[in-house]
Amino acid sequence: MTAPRHLTEAERHGVADGSLAPELEPTVAEHLGACTACASDVARIRTLMTRIRETPAAADSGGDLWPSIRARIEQEKVAPLHAPMSGESGRPPRFLWTVAGVAAAVVIATGMLVRRGTSSTTFDKPAPADVTMHAVAESTHVYEEEARFLLNQLELRRALMRPQTASSIDHDLRVIDDAIAELKRAIERDPNNIALRALLASSYKQKVDLLKRVGNAG
Amino acid sequence: MDMRARSRSSVPPIVPSSSEGIDDLVRRAQQGDLDAFESLYRAHVPAVFALCRRMIGDERDARDLVQDVFVRAWQRLPTFQGHSALGTWIHRLAVNVVLEQLRTSKRETLRFIDDSDTDVLPARSSENQLDASMDLDRALTQLPTGARSVFVLHDIHGYSHDEIAQMTGIAAGTARAQLWRARRALMRLLDQ
Repeated sequence: MTAPRHLTEAERHGVADGSLAPELEPTVAEHLGACTACASDVARIRTLMTRIRETPAAADSGGDLWPSIRARIEQEKVAPLHAPMSGESGRPPRFLWTVAGVAAAVVIATGMLVRRGTSSTTFDKPAPADVTMHAVAESTHVYEEEARFLLNQLELRRALMRPQTASSIDHDLRVIDDAIAELKRAIERDPNNIALRALLASSYKQKVDLLKRVGNAG
Repeated sequence: MDMRARSRSSVPPIVPSSSEGIDDLVRRAQQGDLDAFESLYRAHVPAVFALCRRMIGDERDARDLVQDVFVRAWQRLPTFQGHSALGTWIHRLAVNVVLEQLRTSKRETLRFIDDSDTDVLPARSSENQLDASMDLDRALTQLPTGARSVFVLHDIHGYSHDEIAQMTGIAAGTARAQLWRARRALMRLLDQ
């Protein structure tokens, strides 16, 4: 007569956590009724599982991690500026697309406005020409001043930047500056064109925004 | 008692009472409102931290991972459609972040794959024997990473072996063996 075989590890855990195959249940139950060693072991596993189930997770949240998380999120908002020109994914930084898009739009708009020979009548409902012209020129002037100030700051910080970052910023600035140069040439040909001047102001604003983002990221 | 039938409600309740308020916070956060996202963070961070700490076994690493989880949650929030509760979504995100972290460490990955590591289990020696009052979290830190992760996912958070196999890349049979090993080790550590 051979001694009855004890339950396997799989059967013990299976019966304790309810994952035992149904077809094995009668045999296992019969064995547990006759074998105190196996029954005791299964009871210990069940006790552990009950203990685990009844142990609440500590209320601890690891301290206030929000400031660090927020800083990382804020930093990642300007991350494309820090990415190398041809990022690991092979795609140019997202911001570059925006800048390039704006520049392309400016060039197209410039061409259309010049071809149409528009002047102060470019808009459907133009404001009084001299007032609008003055406002746009003023706005351009303000942005030019701000861009100059921010560029000076950028130069001071340049030594601390990674070469890839500096190169990326320079490229973005060149795209905007090209658009600005194109607009200035168009304005020379059509000095009273309010739409061109508005586009120029908008390009300067793009430049200032870019420089501010670089400054905030610094 | 069918443990498999136990839902993942063992995750501590982490969603504030007003689902309307949560929906509004989610909507605002999806539109870029960081203050709204901070409220969501505060509601969910205890559960995420508990998960990370239990799976990683180290408090400092867990804090780093919590940051990763919420930065990723912010990035992915626009894709959250509300098909599941936000807590469930964040929980799954957190599990993925932790498992990715474990996979990036070659040493830990080997432990995940190699299920014959009986030698790494804490023996019940005088050196390793812990006080009976030792809490579960401290006992968990004594387990090998693979066994600990499978245990946390299965016995604490209710994932099935097939789900665990899918998430971790180990075979379901290996996951079972890791689980049994973890239970045995915990029984010793908790002096049960």
